[in-house]
Amino acid sequence: MDQPLKILLIDDEIDFVETTAKRLIRRGYSAKTALTCAEGLETIASGWPEVVVLDVMLPDRDGMDCLREIKEKWPTLPVILLTGHASMEAGLHGLESGASDYCLKPIDLETLVEMIAIAHRESRLPGI
Amino acid sequence: MLKGNDFPEQPNAGDQNMTFFLDRLTSLFRTKPRLKPAELQAAFRAHYKDFRALLTANNNALELMAEMEQALTAGRSFGMAFVRGNCTALSVNIYKMIHHLTRLADGRYTELDQPFRAITKQLEQVIALRSPSAEGALILTMAEVDASAVDQVGEKMANLGEVRNRLGLRTPDGFVITATASRHFVEADALQVEINRRLKGLDLDNLEELYTVSAGIQNLISNAPLSPELEEAILAHHQQLATDSEDELLVALRSSALGEDSSNVSFAGQYRTQLNVSREFVVQTYREIVASKYKSQAIVYRQQRGYRNLDVHMCVGCLRMVDGAISGVLYSRAPDDPRSPYVIIQAAPGLAATVVDGSGATEQFRVSRTPPHPILHRQSAEELSHSPLALTELQAAELAATGVRLEEHFGTPQDIEWSIDRCGLLYILQSRPLGRPASEGGQDNSSISSHTVPQIRVSIVGRSVRQRGLPAMQQVCGQADDKGDAVPCDPLTLLSGGVCASQGVGCGPVFMVRSNLDLLRFPKGAVLVIETPYPDWASLLNRAVAVVSETGQPAAHLATVAREFGVPAIFGMKQALATLENNSLVTVDATGGKVYAGRIESLLALAPPKPNLMAGSPVYKVLTQALAHITPLNLTDPASPFFRPDGCKTLHDLTRFCHEKAVVEMFTFGERYGFDDKAAKQLVVDAPSQWWVIDLDDGFTPDFDPESRYIDLNHITSAPMQAIWQGMTAFPWAGPPPVSLGGFGSIIFQSTRNPNLDPAVRSAMAAKNYFLISKNFCNLSVRLGYHFALVEANLGKYLTENYVSFQFKGGAADQDRRLLRIQLISEILSEFGFRVEQKVDAMTARIEKKPGTYLLERLKVLGYLLIHTRQIDMIMADQDMAASYHQKIMADLRTLMDKTTPEA
Repeated sequence: MDQPLKILLIDDEIDFVETTAKRLIRRGYSAKTALTCAEGLETIASGWPEVVVLDVMLPDRDGMDCLREIKEKWPTLPVILLTGHASMEAGLHGLESGASDYCLKPIDLETLVEMIAIAHRESRLPGI
Repeated sequence: MLKGNDFPEQPNAGDQNMTFFLDRLTSLFRTKPRLKPAELQAAFRAHYKDFRALLTANNNALELMAEMEQALTAGRSFGMAFVRGNCTALSVNIYKMIHHLTRLADGRYTELDQPFRAITKQLEQVIALRSPSAEGALILTMAEVDASAVDQVGEKMANLGEVRNRLGLRTPDGFVITATASRHFVEADALQVEINRRLKGLDLDNLEELYTVSAGIQNLISNAPLSPELEEAILAHHQQLATDSEDELLVALRSSALGEDSSNVSFAGQYRTQLNVSREFVVQTYREIVASKYKSQAIVYRQQRGYRNLDVHMCVGCLRMVDGAISGVLYSRAPDDPRSPYVIIQAAPGLAATVVDGSGATEQFRVSRTPPHPILHRQSAEELSHSPLALTELQAAELAATGVRLEEHFGTPQDIEWSIDRCGLLYILQSRPLGRPASEGGQDNSSISSHTVPQIRVSIVGRSVRQRGLPAMQQVCGQADDKGDAVPCDPLTLLSGGVCASQGVGCGPVFMVRSNLDLLRFPKGAVLVIETPYPDWASLLNRAVAVVSETGQPAAHLATVAREFGVPAIFGMKQALATLENNSLVTVDATGGKVYAGRIESLLALAPPKPNLMAGSPVYKVLTQALAHITPLNLTDPASPFFRPDGCKTLHDLTRFCHEKAVVEMFTFGERYGFDDKAAKQLVVDAPSQWWVIDLDDGFTPDFDPESRYIDLNHITSAPMQAIWQGMTAFPWAGPPPVSLGGFGSIIFQSTRNPNLDPAVRSAMAAKNYFLISKNFCNLSVRLGYHFALVEANLGKYLTENYVSFQFKGGAADQDRRLLRIQLISEILSEFGFRVEQKVDAMTARIEKKPGTYLLERLKVLGYLLIHTRQIDMIMADQDMAASYHQKIMADLRTLMDKTTPEA
């Protein structure tokens, strides 16, 4: 890639989010982290991220709520939902609310990297 | 859909109906979207994007289904988190498939939402039946533990409880300090909060920092007080054990982690186990084992995979020490041979730990799995650095019998720790699945883990077994066979390798299926041998006794169906078609990955063990019920009238439907889109031109003038179009009716103009033939009167996205002749590896997932057929004529292949 793809990770699991960001950077991506929804929205508002990875369990706000706000303000920004607790309803609800993908913890980096690449590829191509 | 009341009931209703239909038809064509070049490109890209996304989701869904099915049969423990997680991931992927299909099909197929909602609702009800065991006892005695207690005691202790309580084998007495207890422990006094604080911002690449933080946290936990309630409970249970002892009670404290993917062998043995613990140190040792959750390797592993610390619980078994005279490890099969007719015993004097950690000198035995379990091989004295052990033949036999029993119970080869005490009593200390091949275990590609996670014991021991050069299986099999076990000496192995897509053994005559014609002839009880496991072959599985495929993965549709039907299957068995002979009798050992000549009764007698490890447990029931809504495949035949959205009864049906329709939608892209006339460039060829080319993306060279109305072949970058064109022009059309010379273009020109050749020619006069192209894509539609042919190909970066399809309809001659022609084309395409479907006088042929070079050759064949079968229905009077055409066409095609690919 010419310019490293910019990825924002929003998750309050500090150890996970920091590790993941480092590993993404090692693979040639650019990554930032946010521990709360508010912090995440701030970074998004700055226009920095190209892909967002969002945990549905956040301390300050419901992640789904956060997703809806992101998709309302930045409809073309791809968001991948992440959660440690599986719920079919939440998964489908997330996609209906505009998430590009839904990823369950535990994840491996390969899977996440592929999801990010696909979500980004799709966001750049025209839709009907 | 037209309804009856659409037609007015008037005297001239018939005429009006006809007019109505014509209007309707005309309007259909008129309302086809007319797109400008840029719009057409955008539409194509959008479709293509959805198609690729759909294929990805399809692959994910199939893998998830395979994983869930294997959980039921592979003899491993699983909790509700696994069931819930997989159901969620599965429904998410199928939702995406439907979403992408709807967009691909310009809004059609929305009715798929209904079966999808219905199925997922049923699934949700199934998995809601059991909520995770939130609170439970702090301590469970070993008498209370079996596999279904895995959520409370971790996999290691659950398995040991299974050995004790369901199999009735001797295990040390003791108890388990449960997940509930460890939760109480770390949540008291904000211990977890402090742990999280210390982990915050930890740089895993900085090993020094990692070790420091890890040691600090372990220290913190090791020094934290237990709640009085928990401490009292532990000591009370310990006291209970002690009252049965004559001497001072010593216990072993064994970690049994819960909440991680414990089937991943690379993580086994990670945590701490402490032997010979006296009463005064029990509580302290418990704390230290709980603290071992934060060993550096464990921290790295969890963080890389996104496990929440909170969800991982350290359960601890507290078991009476066995005063071991001889102890060791027992593999119920050789680690590198899942069908070995013997067990492997490693033994050392004293406690099992010396064998397990590799610190002591051990002795190795191979003991027959068949009663009376003779010792087949014993390490010779000169190989030993110590005097031989006193493991008696009787003890070896008891161990072997136990190993076989444990394997039968757990349904998979076992890796067992054992100890024989000074009274000669055998104790089982642990039993777990024998190390799986690396491909099945969890993978971690991180550079961190490769040097911080220690080598696991299974692989170390496995290597040492091989290094010591034990004789191969064949050298001992004669002995084993006398006892009726495994494979007789010198069975003729025809094939070996591949992956097991469905376990078991089957025997029957070979029947190779290469085309739909073969499919119809497939006899009941035969072994299905194929190159690629297409979903279409699923209809044969109720007749096949085994499947051997040269390609494919256990996640393939066909593998799922094979498991459902219990048909043994090996995929990825190279050279199967070349090696096996039709009608020859073979025995397929899918579990062992081999195909033998003839009938091997001893193998067939090995009924595949049906593991019941979790059977009866609530989680097992939930997964079984969930799978009833997931895996059965009802939609096997795309040509069936029931192949429609409301025919989808399971998630598997939905994947099948979406995939099939997505492929069709991609194949008919050009069909559904009209285009602005200016977008089409006329192809400059030495003939009256009939050919127009439309660039969808990057199909023209950059130096081509977009304003030009004409284009020549040199400016076309589309590899699939060039291949089709090569096939079309390789030979002049020599068939009747006789035509004057003038090149291939004039033939086409003639054939469209001569009303004697084609009665429908008047309506065809206005028709043009279009190529829609990009560099890797080509869609060619050819319309001539009643004839319609469509070729489409995509040759991308990934095999899963590659395909060539061909559709052919119509004809002007009577039906018999048309059928003869279709039959001829079908046969030829089958010979070139196409899957052909034929309905009356329409046919489709497809190849998918093949390399570009292979597909380009097939496109040449299609190009040739487009031209050279054009009017042959008119003259094809009988089978003899057809046979003669067949011969000629095949000869031409062989020449064409030789000409263009010297290596062919």
